[in-house]
Amino acid sequence: MGDLSWKDFLSQAKQFLEISQKLDDNWVLEQKDSSEPNIYLKCSQKIKCQSGKNNAVELFSVEYHVVYSVSYQVPMLFFQAHRSDGSLLDVEATWKLFMPESKASDLHQILTQMDHPVLFRPFMALHPCRTADVLKQFGKPSGNQVLSFISLYGPHVQLHLQNAYGLSQEYT
Amino acid sequence: MSTENETILQFAPWESFVSPTFWHKLAELKLDHDRLSDSKRSITGHYTNRNASGCLLEVDYTAYNRTAQPPKFSHAAIGTIYNKNTIEEFKALDKLQLLADEGKELLADMCSGGVLRDPSLLTRFFVLSFADLKCHSYYYWFAFPCPLTPTLKLQGAVQKLRDLDNSSSYINALKTLPTESQNFFILYANVEKNVFEARNLSSLEEKEVEFCYFGFADPSEYEHPAWIMRNYAAFLLQQCPSFVGKPLKFLGLRHNQQMSIDDSPLWQVIQTEACDLRQSGDIKFVGWELNKNGKMGPRMVCMRDSMDPAKLAENSVNLNLKLMKWRLVPDLNLEIISKTKCLLFGAGTLGCAVARNLLSWGFKHITLLDSGKVGFSNPVRQNLYTHTDAVAGNRMKATTAAQRLKEINPSAETAGYVLEIPMPGHTIGESLLVQTKEHLKVIEQLVQDHDVIFLLTDSRESRWLPTLLGAAKEKIVINAALGFDSYLVMRHGTTRKEAGDDGQVIEGLKCINGDQLGCYFCNDVTAPGNSLKDRTLDQQCTVTRPGVSNIAASYAVELLVALLQHPRKELAPAYYAHSGRGKSEEAAGKVPEGLLGILPHSIRGMLCNYENILPATQKFAQCIACSAAVLDQYKKEGHAFLLKTFETAKYLEDLTGISEFKRLNSEIIDFDEEEFDMSDDDED
Repeated sequence: MGDLSWKDFLSQAKQFLEISQKLDDNWVLEQKDSSEPNIYLKCSQKIKCQSGKNNAVELFSVEYHVVYSVSYQVPMLFFQAHRSDGSLLDVEATWKLFMPESKASDLHQILTQMDHPVLFRPFMALHPCRTADVLKQFGKPSGNQVLSFISLYGPHVQLHLQNAYGLSQEYT
Repeated sequence: MSTENETILQFAPWESFVSPTFWHKLAELKLDHDRLSDSKRSITGHYTNRNASGCLLEVDYTAYNRTAQPPKFSHAAIGTIYNKNTIEEFKALDKLQLLADEGKELLADMCSGGVLRDPSLLTRFFVLSFADLKCHSYYYWFAFPCPLTPTLKLQGAVQKLRDLDNSSSYINALKTLPTESQNFFILYANVEKNVFEARNLSSLEEKEVEFCYFGFADPSEYEHPAWIMRNYAAFLLQQCPSFVGKPLKFLGLRHNQQMSIDDSPLWQVIQTEACDLRQSGDIKFVGWELNKNGKMGPRMVCMRDSMDPAKLAENSVNLNLKLMKWRLVPDLNLEIISKTKCLLFGAGTLGCAVARNLLSWGFKHITLLDSGKVGFSNPVRQNLYTHTDAVAGNRMKATTAAQRLKEINPSAETAGYVLEIPMPGHTIGESLLVQTKEHLKVIEQLVQDHDVIFLLTDSRESRWLPTLLGAAKEKIVINAALGFDSYLVMRHGTTRKEAGDDGQVIEGLKCINGDQLGCYFCNDVTAPGNSLKDRTLDQQCTVTRPGVSNIAASYAVELLVALLQHPRKELAPAYYAHSGRGKSEEAAGKVPEGLLGILPHSIRGMLCNYENILPATQKFAQCIACSAAVLDQYKKEGHAFLLKTFETAKYLEDLTGISEFKRLNSEIIDFDEEEFDMSDDDED
């Protein structure tokens, strides 16, 4: 296990969306055009971070996309943060946002900029090279691997799912 | 009515929060629709009272839609954008007047009953903007107009919904409220009669004030209520004049992540002075947002990084290089690469391949010099040209290549010069004398203006002038030459004088400092003559295995990058193993490495056995291109000297004294002609 087909991804993403709606979370399913893989999960949140010279607290908006990677056959987490004036954070600023302290964090190895497979624009992403292995270790074959993926990878970039997601999975 | 613990109620001001898509859509509308028109345009914003951060009013691309559909858990705010055509108009506009005009519209809605029908009119905002679409810069200033009415005094402490007796009755009543009515509403709570009801604002009943909580979706995360409560209170007091002097209860509805509203705050306030909003001429307005420095002023955002395709490409290219730096070579100096200016003599097979490799490494300044046109046989090997270039009346190589490089990477600064390189022994006729002098001037200036000179032409003698100029002007010179299945890539010894450590003494290795290394001509004892004379066609157009030029071009660029990353740059010593001692392989392993490995003087390789050797050779005191005698003469006589050499190559041999050299020091060229049949020609 670990690998996921596009059809599996789609059905599990829809299942995830249903749970999210039950929990009043703000995930949505976005569809771009009709050429697959064209559908991804999306949500956004505000993150506070000390930044700038005087260490003032600045507010960032981060949009998260859970997209299907055809090459790796796993879900991938893409995201993009912007400031209150609409300017986007580049990869270095994104590192600072999610790793204010550590320089040698493992996240350096996986947080990078890649082309979004659906939108074809440069986006920040967590590299999918180890996702299949990780999912193999954690994901129960019968459970929702999209949910497992988000709960495992999300916390690296301050995307925390409510515990209720985990509980809901047992009933599905 | 006033009591002692009354304080003036303060409000959390709106903070504008703009999505990049808001600017994308504005640019699109301006270009495709509005064009020169700068009439105002209705927009909508949204704010959320769920898990709120700050006190945000957000706008994104949906702001321009005709019908507002705020995102889940958000409420619509009604706005207008005034997008000006010029920065001057943006600056010159009377800001106070605009705020007053907008404010009066707000008052009209409050007085006319419009707010009762659609309470979202209370959330009025507007944006003054100027979009500099060429630079992708947006100047903007948000305002949230609000009439300056008498102050509201806070009575008693701020309570939370959960603190009320029967709080669950209140909460249950609130749960029945439809989403679209949650922005402004009334919570009717008659404890005695045990009636708890959430009602639309339109059901406002002046007499029931003691049972009413005036509720609103509160986007503030702070102790203070959001700015909108100011307009809300002003409206209520206008609608119900009897509220003046009476305690009024407000409920700021706030959801947490789990949608609980228990912590929503309650304020009891009183306004003691009356104020008639219909007398709008007397009323002043506030509401311009402070900028990031906390000053009254507009903001500016540069969106080039995400909106300019050229910038997007540049950033992506840089990212690849930065990844190399971040992950593999942390000390890699990318800045020096992007700043180094390269001049390529020759825009043929080698020139095209070198130029592309330079782009890959992030070099930004590339100039090509070539007098040739694109021929039909060229495009398959010269990778910046296409068949069309040959058909289209034979385009000039130099300018076409420069244009192609720019098409590949728009942020590169490229130029092409269609120029003949004068050569020793190639006599210049009377008629061409003036033109040649002009060309010489341009070539001298180009060498002066660049940091690195690449010699990539198709003949030995055409390399003489660039070699001389590179040495005279103390530039880095990289040379690549091809044989049928062999290649030579080298860095010329530098003429730059700079104090520094000599190379290390290592057993089994010979070390030559950078300023003692030879140039292309140092190993050669005849002055370059006219090598194209008396040759058959296949000798003139050197036939090479196609891979040779790509290999040599790649080595040439990698050699330059390794050199630029070396702390001593072109002064870096070169090491080579003494041949024939049996231990040369062991010694070769000891060559000191720079950031990117060793930095040889030259790379000679051949495809027939897929081998490279890395010889290093000394400067030759009688060199016809880089020796002191030649450089001094050039400095003394300038063009007159050059013209003499073009007249006859013999002049150089006499000047340097090599014509008197009968017997040569064999050590420096001991591997040369026998081992390698090294033709120095690039194919045409």
